[in-house]
Amino acid sequence: MALLKRFIEGFTKAPEETRAENLARWISTLEGVTPLSQVAPRQRYRVAGVIQNIRIDPREGRDSIEATIIDGSGRMIVKWLGRSSMLGVGLGKGLVVEGIVGESEGMRVMINPEWNLVPGPEHG
Amino acid sequence: MSKLQAALKRVLVGRPMSSGEMEHTLLPKTIALPVFSSDALSSNAYATQEAMIVLALAGTGALQHIVPISLAVAALLAIVIISYRETVRAYPTGGGAYRVSKENLGMYPGLIAAAALLIDYALTVAVSMTAGVDAILSAATSLVPYRVELALFFVILVAVANLRGTKESGILFAIPTYGFILSVFALLITGFVRCAVDCPAAESAGTIIKPASALTFFLILKAFAAGTTALTGVEAIADGVGAFRYPQSKNAAQTLAIMGILSISMFLGISYLAHATGVVYVHGAERTVVAQVAHAIFSGGPAFYVLQIMSAAILLLAANTAFQDFPRISSILAGDHFMPRQFLSRGDRLVFSNGIIILSVAAAFLITAFNADLNRLIQLYLVGVFISFTFSQTGMVLRSRRLKPKGWHRTVVVSGIGGTVTGIVLLVVVITKFTGGAWMVISAIPVLVYLMRSIHKHYGDVQHQLDHPDRRPVDRRAGHQNLVILVTDLEEATAQAVGYSHHVQPRSISAITPDRSLVDGWRTLAPGIEITVLGAGGSVTKRVRRHLKGVRDSIAENDFLTVVVPEILRSRNTIEILRNLGKQRLKAALLRERGVQVLNIPVVKGDIAEGIDLTQEPARNFTVVLVSGVHNATLQAIEYAGTLRPIQLHAVSLGIEESDTSALGDSWLEEHIPHPLEIEAAPFRDIGAALRDYLSSFEADGHERVVTVVIPEFVVPKKRHQILHGQTALIVKRHLLFVRGVVVVSVPYHLD
Repeated sequence: MALLKRFIEGFTKAPEETRAENLARWISTLEGVTPLSQVAPRQRYRVAGVIQNIRIDPREGRDSIEATIIDGSGRMIVKWLGRSSMLGVGLGKGLVVEGIVGESEGMRVMINPEWNLVPGPEHG
Repeated sequence: MSKLQAALKRVLVGRPMSSGEMEHTLLPKTIALPVFSSDALSSNAYATQEAMIVLALAGTGALQHIVPISLAVAALLAIVIISYRETVRAYPTGGGAYRVSKENLGMYPGLIAAAALLIDYALTVAVSMTAGVDAILSAATSLVPYRVELALFFVILVAVANLRGTKESGILFAIPTYGFILSVFALLITGFVRCAVDCPAAESAGTIIKPASALTFFLILKAFAAGTTALTGVEAIADGVGAFRYPQSKNAAQTLAIMGILSISMFLGISYLAHATGVVYVHGAERTVVAQVAHAIFSGGPAFYVLQIMSAAILLLAANTAFQDFPRISSILAGDHFMPRQFLSRGDRLVFSNGIIILSVAAAFLITAFNADLNRLIQLYLVGVFISFTFSQTGMVLRSRRLKPKGWHRTVVVSGIGGTVTGIVLLVVVITKFTGGAWMVISAIPVLVYLMRSIHKHYGDVQHQLDHPDRRPVDRRAGHQNLVILVTDLEEATAQAVGYSHHVQPRSISAITPDRSLVDGWRTLAPGIEITVLGAGGSVTKRVRRHLKGVRDSIAENDFLTVVVPEILRSRNTIEILRNLGKQRLKAALLRERGVQVLNIPVVKGDIAEGIDLTQEPARNFTVVLVSGVHNATLQAIEYAGTLRPIQLHAVSLGIEESDTSALGDSWLEEHIPHPLEIEAAPFRDIGAALRDYLSSFEADGHERVVTVVIPEFVVPKKRHQILHGQTALIVKRHLLFVRGVVVVSVPYHLD
């Protein structure tokens, strides 16, 4: 019966729901990361998320790359200043970062953190 | 939690690791077996029968040859599986026939293999559905008159399920596949036991068929060729290595071996029992061979019905495999620019739908054209299978000789034998089935190859022009803009066009109308803008184009010339698009005009409150340029956006393939484009929704705040090539038509 239920759910479940579940499941496999919903400003954290959008600013003096990551519990902006290459940062990739969390316009921001890319979740 | 439970949970919940581009979760062998072998195992439901149909032509006596023929087919199956194990080891990321052939034999063999595969998938659906329906009909003979309808019904059912977006769920495959394996083995064991004592006779035993032809060598060959249907589906594992758990190649090779052993025993067992129970099968009989055997062995008991249900289920699943694989191979081909780019990303709902719809239409066509006659459909089926076998095995031989990996001598021998044998069988299949229908496949393949080659050439030309430095747009700054407002009524949209045009502060601004009676009203609405009544003669489109040519000649060569097309919509119903069909056509036609951009101002009636003077300039104009890549067309669109005096200029990339986003960012930086680029994911690949979401942050109201979406579009000289481009633009425009306060500009980039 459980199988049948799951089969039926496969047809009826909202994609957003499945997506959040996928993210949560994926996050649970990464070690030592704090859920984004639990981070507070001005403290050091190791967090992870899938890159959901990227903003590249090549203008003189403002050159930076921003990536917004989500982990199913919240979102955060990771910002690299003075950077002129993507170094593999792309949508759908998993990003694990460690650094001090700041705040800007109501959003959590981490500037120039230690970072590395990991494979994203399956159907994120 | 038991080991099995843990495995099931991991399968159900999915192992939290990405398998790169593959859509499957990584599968343990126990689940990979049913997922990838449903196609191969299911062919046992009809392989014996197909050989018997041929033998029956030479009379009842000839049917005894089914056992030696089956042994030959089983030997062939063993050879193919052994050589595919080599492919699996060599291509740990999945070595489909297309890839192996293209890499080792060259482009054309690759394309031939690809064409064969595409045709094959359509046939897999048609054949599996038909065979599945046959299994149902064997248990419920009263439904026989509805054969075609039932088969079509199942095609639609599976297509809809796939459109809805089911993933290959391991469990979904596991139940019927293991059920089928168990039922067949139950049948074989019961059969062997009963036949050791006293074999029950099948219902058709003793039927005398008068020989229609002599038992020639050719007929035996033909029966053998028919029996080789047992080999169909073997390549699925080689295609899906990437979905296996680590060590992927080893697990895939083992699964292949297990599948081979299962398939060979099932096939030989069924053939033997068919012989032992004396089944006489002629083309068109109500009950399949397997059904007759099972009915006799199980004495018509419940086990018979279970087997029939399992057969039907596994056959339907085999068709589902094609629904998974067709879009996958299409996307690989599109990635290599051999198919329209709409197939490129398999996750994109729309794109995915394209593949599914095309596949179901093709399968439905085949089922209808061949009247759901399994025997006739199978005549077409085998050519593609053996082309891909032969090509990929030959490719493997060349690869081993070239790269000389460890143990390459063995690969050369194994794949060499495999390639030679399948090559011979290919010849046999072609010769024996040519008149029966194989000619259709053989003639369709070059047509497909030619099409793919042309598409490739076209995309190559386009790319060349897009990147060519000589075709760079010239630097145009604000002010180098000329506007012509097309007036067809004096409603809100037209009023807004007046306000918008003033805001842009172009070098020149004028209005045109096909309708003299609007002139007076216009002069009150926009006293400062001269209006010209279009000269008579021809359609509105023709008259507008003639006028624009005149304007074009009178302005500076490098200036932009934009036609402003106001469009009033009565509601947000899609039907409005049809009601305004004339205007849609006009916009499309003007897009093909060189040196002209089309700026569309749609206003939905009631969106603007009474008393607001729309002819006033909007306070803020946000401009959003849609970017799909960094090339001349994009650069031109960005320049264009700059001439609209935007308060902000946003370059946005929405819903491009995720794996391309990093490279897009790098080219943006390399090109030193002086504007920020935002790359947004389109969750669930719905570009329209993602764009609407993005635009909503501007809170455009249509009079104070306006958002102008600038869409670079390719215009190709040959109209029929347009299908290869601009589909995204069409979707986007359709979605934006009803968004409040949004103005849409198409900036065409003309290709030669």
